[in-house]
Amino acid sequence: MNQAEVSKLVSKLRMNIKPEHRRLKNLKGPEGRIDKLRKTVTGLIKFERIELNINRGDEARQYAERLISEAIRHGDCHKPTMDMANFWLLEKQLVHKLFKVLVPRFENSTVSYTKMIKAPKAQNTEHTNKIVLELRGNPYPDLIVKQPNNRLWIQNVLLDAAKYDYRQSKISEIAANIGKDTQLSSSSLTANNKGGTQKEES
Amino acid sequence: MKMKRHVTCLMKKLTEKSHFSTLQITRFLSTQEAIERRSYLFTLEKKRQIENVGRIEKIEVQYKGIPKDCTLVMNKNISTPYDCARHLSEWHMESSVLALLDGNLHWDMHRPLTESCTLEFQNYKAAEPQQVNKAFWRTCSLMLGACATVAFKDTVPVHLHSFPLPDIRSGSFIYDVDLPTLSDWQPTHQEVLTLAAEYVKLCRKAVPLERLEVGEELALEMFVDNEHKSKQIPNIAKTNGKVILYRAGNHVDISRGPLISNTAQIGRLAVTAVHKLTGPTEDGVSQLYRFQGVALPKGVVLDHFAFSILMDRAKKLNPARSPFLKKEDPEINEQIENVAAQA
Repeated sequence: MNQAEVSKLVSKLRMNIKPEHRRLKNLKGPEGRIDKLRKTVTGLIKFERIELNINRGDEARQYAERLISEAIRHGDCHKPTMDMANFWLLEKQLVHKLFKVLVPRFENSTVSYTKMIKAPKAQNTEHTNKIVLELRGNPYPDLIVKQPNNRLWIQNVLLDAAKYDYRQSKISEIAANIGKDTQLSSSSLTANNKGGTQKEES
Repeated sequence: MKMKRHVTCLMKKLTEKSHFSTLQITRFLSTQEAIERRSYLFTLEKKRQIENVGRIEKIEVQYKGIPKDCTLVMNKNISTPYDCARHLSEWHMESSVLALLDGNLHWDMHRPLTESCTLEFQNYKAAEPQQVNKAFWRTCSLMLGACATVAFKDTVPVHLHSFPLPDIRSGSFIYDVDLPTLSDWQPTHQEVLTLAAEYVKLCRKAVPLERLEVGEELALEMFVDNEHKSKQIPNIAKTNGKVILYRAGNHVDISRGPLISNTAQIGRLAVTAVHKLTGPTEDGVSQLYRFQGVALPKGVVLDHFAFSILMDRAKKLNPARSPFLKKEDPEINEQIENVAAQA
């Protein structure tokens, strides 16, 4: 009964998290990894859209999501959250941005705060996959443009009509064949019957 | 060159058999002369109509659309929607196919505005492009007629007959043409390709499609060399004594319209087949050739495989009503004639 509700200790992130963290190998070891991630998280909060390698991007995304969700949950009067923001954001004016801009923006959000999109890769290169990491609701134009499609466009009308025509021809072909089959079978049936009757007579 | 030689060879063969006597009686203008004469009359009449406007009055055109709604003050009976587009941007000029007045009336881009109205431009990617598609198909038919008159040598008289209402689902646009000297012509693959090449050449000229309403008499005068058209004209002019003509380059044809703005808006195309239609002989016309093709608007990108499907389908004889049908049943046939002539 005295146990805390475990589910509410840490806010749940709205993204998939790998069971193992990535090591992001570098000379300084784990400390260097954290340094790298701090730089990336700061960059993300500052520029709202950045392009980077998939490993570092995905790892930093988790920390950024956590940071924003903590800020929304506890607000700016909560000491541990403030310390956390102070630690992750290398430029101190971004702490203000976090609480005054991003918290109001994401307060009522029902999806993740960040978005990760695959970036195009130059042909015949062996570089690792690039991604674009962005905060939702950023002021830049959308990266993914939905291609509109309309059934009434002339090319679609023409192709639809061609499809219909093809199907009709197939159906009529099948119908013609069905007639033949039944004729064949019925003729064989009558032959059998005749044979039967002849036998009976004999 | 190869194509040309091929065609000339075939022409020679045919002219050997053909009847020169009928040829000279039916033709008193060469095809080229007749085309130029018609175009010249069109120019004169257009000039006359513009001069007839007299004192210039102003109308207010409220433009709705991108980049933003605005009001343009234009000249009554002189300014066209195309002129409005020229005030906006080059994109509007090139991409607009039809103008939509007061949200319900489809208007040619080159037809003068008659009163104050709201104006929207429609292109092939409009939300409801049915009218735009029809205008496109109609224009393709009209241009196919122009292509047929240009493609043959001077020794082969070409009398355009008519084209039916646009039916996109039939898979091909058509034009029925009378070729009196070619009694039994079955075009080879090369010849069909030549026709398509002529068509592309015409479209590349990027000429506007001008619209003009003329009286019955003038229309008869313009089409004096074409027996079929001169028979259709009284029928068309029955309602209000007017015939609507369109001109692309120097080709003039009858069409109810509306048509698209410019021939450059026709993109990928193929002339696919020429079929022979035969009918009763009493009327002097025993057979017509039905030219068929398929085209897409400029800017529509279609996979070559998908387009080959469309081309294969367009090769089959289009089941649109044949002009010969009318002889069998007079009642239906009057309507058909109207439909065929007014399309």
